[in-house]
Amino acid sequence: MTFADFALPFLPEILVLVGVLLVLLLDVFGVKRIEVFGSITVGATLLALLFVVADLGFLPFAALSTVPASRIDIPLAVVGTPLYSFTSLGFVFQAIFLSATLLVSLASMSRSSYEKGAGVFYALVGMATLGMLLVGIASDLIFLLLAIEVTAISTYLLVGYTRRDPRSLEAAMKFYVIGALSTVISFFGASLLFGAYGSTNLYYLRSVGGAVGYPTLILLGYGLLIAGLAFKVTLVPFHAWAVDVYDGAPSDVSAFLAGGTKKIGLFAFFLVFLGPVLFFTTTGTSNPFNAGVLNTGPIFQIVLGVLAVVTMTVGNVLALMQKEMKRMLAYSSISQVGYMMIGIVIATSPAIAGATLQIFSHTFMKTGAFLVVAAVASLGIGPLISDWKGLGQRRPWLSIAFALILLSLAGVPLTVGFVSKFVLFSSAVQAQGYFIWLAVAGLLNSAISVFYYGRVLKVMFFDAPDPEPEATVAGPSPPVSERLSMGGLGYARASTIALIAVVIVTFGIFPQVILGPIQSAAQHFLIAGP
Amino acid sequence: MDLSILFGWVFLVPLLPALAFVIIGVLGERLGRFEHGGWIAVLLSGAAMVLGVLIAIGEMLNPNTYTDVSYTWFHVGASGPFANGVSFVVGTLVDPISALMLIVVTVVGFLVMLYSVGYMHHDEGLPRYYALLSLFLTAMLGVVLSDNLLEFFLFWELVGVCSYFLIGFYWRKPSASSAAKEAFLVTRIGDVMFLLGIFIYFSVYAMTGPNGGWAANGFLFVHGSASFIPIGAPGNSTLLTVAGLMLLGGAAGKSAQFPLDVWLPDAMEGPTTVSALIHAATMVAAGVYLLVVGSIFLGGYTSIVLFAIVAVGGFTTFYAATMAVVNTDIKRVIAYSTISQLGYMVLAVGAGFAMVGLYQLFTHAFFKALLFLAAGAIIHTIVTQDLFRMGGLAKKMRYTSIAFLIGALALSGIPPFAGFWSKDDVLASVYSQLGAHPEYWPFFILAFVTVFLTAYYIFRVYFLAFSGQRTRDASLPEAHEVPWVMLVPMMVLAGFAVVAGLFAFVPSFAALFTGVPGLATNVPPAYGPTDLLLSAISVTLAGAGILLAWGLWGNGRVYELRASSPVHSIRNLLLARYHVKAAYDWVGMVGMYTVARAADFFDRFVIDGAVKGFERSFRSMSDGMRRIQTGLVSDYATYVVAGVIAVFVLLLFVAPYLASLFGGG
Repeated sequence: MTFADFALPFLPEILVLVGVLLVLLLDVFGVKRIEVFGSITVGATLLALLFVVADLGFLPFAALSTVPASRIDIPLAVVGTPLYSFTSLGFVFQAIFLSATLLVSLASMSRSSYEKGAGVFYALVGMATLGMLLVGIASDLIFLLLAIEVTAISTYLLVGYTRRDPRSLEAAMKFYVIGALSTVISFFGASLLFGAYGSTNLYYLRSVGGAVGYPTLILLGYGLLIAGLAFKVTLVPFHAWAVDVYDGAPSDVSAFLAGGTKKIGLFAFFLVFLGPVLFFTTTGTSNPFNAGVLNTGPIFQIVLGVLAVVTMTVGNVLALMQKEMKRMLAYSSISQVGYMMIGIVIATSPAIAGATLQIFSHTFMKTGAFLVVAAVASLGIGPLISDWKGLGQRRPWLSIAFALILLSLAGVPLTVGFVSKFVLFSSAVQAQGYFIWLAVAGLLNSAISVFYYGRVLKVMFFDAPDPEPEATVAGPSPPVSERLSMGGLGYARASTIALIAVVIVTFGIFPQVILGPIQSAAQHFLIAGP
Repeated sequence: MDLSILFGWVFLVPLLPALAFVIIGVLGERLGRFEHGGWIAVLLSGAAMVLGVLIAIGEMLNPNTYTDVSYTWFHVGASGPFANGVSFVVGTLVDPISALMLIVVTVVGFLVMLYSVGYMHHDEGLPRYYALLSLFLTAMLGVVLSDNLLEFFLFWELVGVCSYFLIGFYWRKPSASSAAKEAFLVTRIGDVMFLLGIFIYFSVYAMTGPNGGWAANGFLFVHGSASFIPIGAPGNSTLLTVAGLMLLGGAAGKSAQFPLDVWLPDAMEGPTTVSALIHAATMVAAGVYLLVVGSIFLGGYTSIVLFAIVAVGGFTTFYAATMAVVNTDIKRVIAYSTISQLGYMVLAVGAGFAMVGLYQLFTHAFFKALLFLAAGAIIHTIVTQDLFRMGGLAKKMRYTSIAFLIGALALSGIPPFAGFWSKDDVLASVYSQLGAHPEYWPFFILAFVTVFLTAYYIFRVYFLAFSGQRTRDASLPEAHEVPWVMLVPMMVLAGFAVVAGLFAFVPSFAALFTGVPGLATNVPPAYGPTDLLLSAISVTLAGAGILLAWGLWGNGRVYELRASSPVHSIRNLLLARYHVKAAYDWVGMVGMYTVARAADFFDRFVIDGAVKGFERSFRSMSDGMRRIQTGLVSDYATYVVAGVIAVFVLLLFVAPYLASLFGGG
């Protein structure tokens, strides 16, 4: 194997790394303009995204693919047991991660040009992205946890990088302490699994299943991993940090956390828990891997299923009670994770595809939502939902974009959020048995969520804005051109939000374009994934 | 020319009002010169009407054809018992029932739109009104033309959303806004039931039928030999009984049947034009249409479900009519009458005569829209809805009074007006089943008695409003005849209210009803001697009702109950709507409070308490820890421990127990 053979498949990762180094270097040499750092990160991410999409085989980019087809979706037993492997689903997730980075990097260029720490911000975003990309190709438990940690440490710093705002510093501190604790738990679980299996290779773990003689170690190990990963993805009752952190962090960073980095935990769930979910279920007759040592019944399905339902319900009910926009979005983000977990619980290819599509759409929706919050804050509008009164009149286009995002979050047809929920819930119905209750729980929760999303729509479009302070009452209302322009938001942020709205509607109308590749990736993943 | 070539273009019918929605929504107030978008809505809904009626005529000339045009939107891969995956299909289906509904929805929709130009002239926010009204039409046409259950449900939901915004059109008025919420919430209960019903149908029939099964073909409505669902033999499957009951729940929500009827009278808070549309052509018709679709395309209903449908329909017919008898608000009386008349339709479907129910829907749409538009004309000129302040309007509003009289005669079931034919058809249909189903008797009697009540309450309205020498309340504005844009729709509808029932004697029109095989039908030409006797009795009852109304309220009279009369308590009970709404409010309030309180309690005491408890024990364990921890972080750190413990409790105790319940998966 030549060096090129070895290195080329990692081209996306290398591109992102080069971007990070370039940003750091320029920062050291005294470049201050945020546009420079932003352009570098956007450029690197865009190139990386191009190659990842090429790896997925999308025409007309397929020719650019740097990973030979013989190395994609190949069961690991064939090629040995390295730390990484290339799966289509991993590429899909890498594309999702890169999209999140791209959107956040693009939008952040609208901040004040000479803001202090812009270089640090983009370097951290880049490094977090690198960690996320590595999660996408991990096939070893330790490699996976380390990759998660690369992202996590970058995000701890991101939350507090402004340093001026005590709220965001406090949030960073909380995030760090809790994150460290969850890391410890995850690694402890991993070490127990190593004790039981003598390996940390995920494919090996999955293929051996319960057929080793240490059921207690296996149960403890996977149990601790559930807890550790549950922090990353904010499953209830491990969610408490998320709201404070999303609320305290700068909105751009919240967008990155909710839209991007949180999703690595979900892919980690796919990587680690397909084995337990699929194979620790029955007495072994239907299961080639399970020699009957760990006849526990479908306990992992039940535990993860309960966590999923509790998460979506608690997230929704608490979102219903929020008065602040960012906290409402944070809780809605928590509840959405509950939907995504359905895919892991059911673990059929439509379910995995549905969850992946839901993660894809949520990345756009939640990134977009937090970016709109950032944009609205930059207009001098307060943090409460009621402060958004009459935004529909003052900023019609921004409001329409936000309305689209909310409708998609609620799962209204002709948005991508509808398609992903439909695929997810219909996969639960397809799986029959008690899985149908997951679909029922999901649907009831979607019905609840309509209320709090609808309330925001009502506030924006139907409530008259509060009378302005006296100084402006006498003045003429702003001319139409000003009301319709994105002025004040910054072109980068405005165009990012517009891009998100376009994506939401485009894939809502033509879902098969992405649903097809995702479904085939999910099918391959069930066969060849770790 | 063979009109069936238009069948493939039927998607344009809902698309034209949708186009109006987009144009008016985008341009908004810039359309001020076009009556704030009103004329655009009129124009495009008129075009939709022309196309819709042509297609309906095409269907009449090609009886019993089912023209399906569909396109696979997306496909969910195979897994489990759904071996061929699930498709989401969008498409249109032109068949006898959708042809009939096309006429109803587009004609009434267009006329209401035209009438609105006059009626809403002085209101604010007109672009919003016309945009939403157009979308409302689109949604209903979508329901009618859907060729599969999923698409049907989506448009069904869109109907609900539009009704929410239209009922709450005067959203600054608290009563309007709460009526809108009530309508949305109550119908939502029905929607959730409908959705559960859909689930059951999906899981039962996913793999049956040709081409890899119903699910793989997007849950298409196919009738005849190629059908995915065996027709007419649902047997006594418990699952299908539950599914049917859920479908009935969904229909009861939309069609305001007991016990989900409370929203419709309160929905009067919307503009009268919206009421006309909701009551005649769009929202409430959707529920009955769903029941008909269930009879034709979803394999019919089990006997328990059929009885439940009969019971709900028969009881609602009477129950709503009694409340109409005492009400003093002209719009509310007509609203109760709608609920009552919908009861007849539901009753007919339950008795196994889905097409008769649809026939009643068809005639009712015209005379009910007429009654609402005439009532709207009154409200437009004298700005009150209180019957006891009106009076003597016949002199000043001659055409309106004639229009209302025709509507009232049609509603009462006086021949040859439209309501007579369809209502007697319903009664005769139920009567024909009494031999096989003696348990239908009470509901048949209730439905029959209602004929008397109906004639009484609607003529009470007519005499109170139009007869006599002068208005009772002299402070009201001077009444005058309404402008032509409002009169013309009323006259057209009055024409339909006279002749719509007679359409059944036109062979090609009747073919719409007889063309659906597997369903019993007896539209009027099939009358036998028993039916004539029934008609004679019902007309006599209706006549008696009219006479009683004349005696009590005619010629400006106002009948006062004696203070000691025991009828007072009944009257108060009826005015309080049998206290059903109050009970709902109470349950809703208590339920909401309980949930909120429980959630609050859980959050504050259980979770926080646990956290605090852990925290305290931690602190006592290590005094040093406190110095490096902020209070809040330690809170969250204790969540970690609590969470890990929770996972292990689940994993080691709860899950194995549940797993054993499921028999090891």
